[in-house]
Amino acid sequence: MNATPTAPRHRAYGATIGRIVPFVPALIPMAILVGIVVELLISSKLTNFGWGFWGSIWDPPSQWGIAVFIAGSFLTALPALFFAMAIGLGIAIASTTYLPGWITRWLDPFVDLLAGIPSIVYGIWGYLLVAPFFGSVINPALYAHIGFIPGFGGLAPRADGLGLPVGVFILTLMALPITTLLIRDALRSVPRDLWEAGLGLGATRWETVRHVAIPYGSRGILSAAFLGFGRAFGETVAIAMVLNVVASYPTNVYGSTGTMAAEMFLSLDSAFGNTQWLAALSEMALVLLAISLAVNIIGRRLVARIVTYEVPGL
Amino acid sequence: MASAVNHLRAETAEELLFDRSFRTRWRLGFDKAIGWVLPLLFLVAIIPILDLVYYIASQALPTFTWTVLTSTNPYDPDALGVPIETTAAIMLFAIALAVLLGLFGGVATAEFLPERAAGWVRMAANMLVGTPSVVLGYFGYFLFVITFGWGLSFIAGSVTLAFFMTPYIFRISDLAYSSIPRPIREAAYGSGARPYQYVLRVGAPIAFPQILNGVFLALAIGVGETAPIVLTTTQSVIFPPTIYSPVTFLTGTIWENFSQPAGSPSLSLAFQAALLLMVVVVALNILVRVISARYQKRLEGLYQ
Repeated sequence: MNATPTAPRHRAYGATIGRIVPFVPALIPMAILVGIVVELLISSKLTNFGWGFWGSIWDPPSQWGIAVFIAGSFLTALPALFFAMAIGLGIAIASTTYLPGWITRWLDPFVDLLAGIPSIVYGIWGYLLVAPFFGSVINPALYAHIGFIPGFGGLAPRADGLGLPVGVFILTLMALPITTLLIRDALRSVPRDLWEAGLGLGATRWETVRHVAIPYGSRGILSAAFLGFGRAFGETVAIAMVLNVVASYPTNVYGSTGTMAAEMFLSLDSAFGNTQWLAALSEMALVLLAISLAVNIIGRRLVARIVTYEVPGL
Repeated sequence: MASAVNHLRAETAEELLFDRSFRTRWRLGFDKAIGWVLPLLFLVAIIPILDLVYYIASQALPTFTWTVLTSTNPYDPDALGVPIETTAAIMLFAIALAVLLGLFGGVATAEFLPERAAGWVRMAANMLVGTPSVVLGYFGYFLFVITFGWGLSFIAGSVTLAFFMTPYIFRISDLAYSSIPRPIREAAYGSGARPYQYVLRVGAPIAFPQILNGVFLALAIGVGETAPIVLTTTQSVIFPPTIYSPVTFLTGTIWENFSQPAGSPSLSLAFQAALLLMVVVVALNILVRVISARYQKRLEGLYQ
C-alpha cells in the first residue's frame, strides 16, 4: 500500500483560497485611507493654483491662498498644545507620584470624561458661556494691564469674546485628556527599581521624577505632544463655533483667524457648484490630512504601544 | 553613634535631616510644596467639566418635559422625538456596517496576517483614527453625495459615519484577539481546531466582552460627531421615509440652532439636544469603563 504523502490537489487549491480570503477584510482600513486620498484628489480635479495657493489671500471667487488657514491652525493648536502639555505633565506627575491611589481613582476619571464630551457640546458651552466671560472679563483685563507687551495691545478685543483666547482654551481642554493619559502611561512605565533607586539615593520625590522618571519616559511624553497636537489641529466644530472664523491673520492675541478644518467645515455649502472653490477646499483637505497623518505617525512611532484606547482620537 | 541609632528609628524625612543646611531644607520643602501644588492642576480639568455639565443642565432642564423627548409631531418646533428616532436609526445602520467592516478586518489582522503585514494594517487603522473628522466628511460628501448621487441623505450620512467608526471597531477586535493568552491559542490549535473553529468557539467567548466594549465606545464617539454627518446630510423635520431622504441628527440640531437668540425655543431645543447627547455619551463611557474593568479581571483569571 502506497499512502500518498501529499494532500490531494483540490485540497491544496482550497488551502490557497483559504489563505488569501481571510486577508481581504484586513485590508479595509488601508482601503478607506487610500479611498479618502484618491477621492480628494479626484474632487480637486488636480487643479493647479500655482504659487498663489501657498499665499495669504483667500478671497473665494478669485484668490486661493491657504497660508492664512495653515497659520491659523498652528496659531490655535500650538498654544493649546503648550497649555495641555504643561497641565497634563503636572496632573500626570501628581497622579503617579504624589497622590495616594484612592484619591487618583476618583480624580482620574474626570480627565477621561473630558475626552468623552462631544465637541459640539464644548462648542455651545464655549460660544454662549465661556466666550462672553472672556469678552467681558479676561480680555479687557489683559488689554488694560499687560497691553504694553507687543501683541497684547493694539486693536481692542471684541465685546462678545469670540477669538483666539477662547479657541485656545477650548482646544486645551480637548487636547488635555490625550496628553495627560499618555504622559501618565509614560511615567507608569518607568520600572519600580528606578524609582526606588532614586529615592534610595536620597533624592526627593520631585528630584526622582525630574531626573529619573521624565528622562526615562521622554519618548512617551514626546508622543503625547504629537498626538495632542494632532487632536487640536484637526478639531473642527468647536473651533468653528468660538473662533469667529475669518480669512486673515490676527493682529493681536485677541484677534480672530481661521483654521483649515473650520474653514472647510463652514464654506462647503457656499462652495457648492463652484468648481474652483471645491477644488481649493479639496486641496486644503489634503494638506490638513497630510499634516495630521504625519504628526500622528511620528507620535505613534515614538512609543512601542499605546496602552490607553478608551479615548476618542487616540 | 547616637546619630546612627536615630537613623534606624527615623520615620520621616525631617528626622533623617542630619545636615540642616539651607539647600537640603529647600529641597525637602520644595518637594513638599510641589506635592500640594500639582494636585491643584486637577482643578483645571474638574472645574470646566462641572461648569459645562451645570450650564447645559441649567439651560435645558427648565424647559424640559417628557413630551420633548417623545413628541414626533413635525409641526411642533420644540420636540426632539424625530431627531432621536432618526439618530437611533442612523447609529444602528452605521454601527452595523462598521461592525461588519471592522470586526472581520480586526480578527483577520490578529489571526491570519503575517506580523509585518499586520503592522502596516494597524498603522493604517491608527492613521484613520487620527484623520480629522472634517476630512472624512469631505470624503463622504464627494464620494457618496456627489459621485454616487445619493444626495444629502440618510444613506450618505450613515455610511460616512460607519467609515468614521470602523477603525475603532477594527482596532478593538484586533486587540481583543491578539491579547488572548497564547497557551489557549496553542491548546486550541494543538488539539486540532481549524482556524474558524478557534475564532468562533475558543476566541469569541474570550474576546466578546472587549469587542462589545469597543462597539459601545464607537457608538459614544460616533453619536457625538458633528462634521461628517452635517456635511453629508441636510435638515428635515420628519423621520426619513426612504434612505435617500434628508435627516435630522442630534448634533445637527445643535449646530442649526446654537446661534439663535437667547430665550428662543430653537436655542432651548439645542440645549435639550446637548443635554441628551451628553447623558448618552457619558452613560456609554461609564458602561465602557465598567465592562473594561470586569473584563480585565476575567482575563487575569485565564492565567490561573
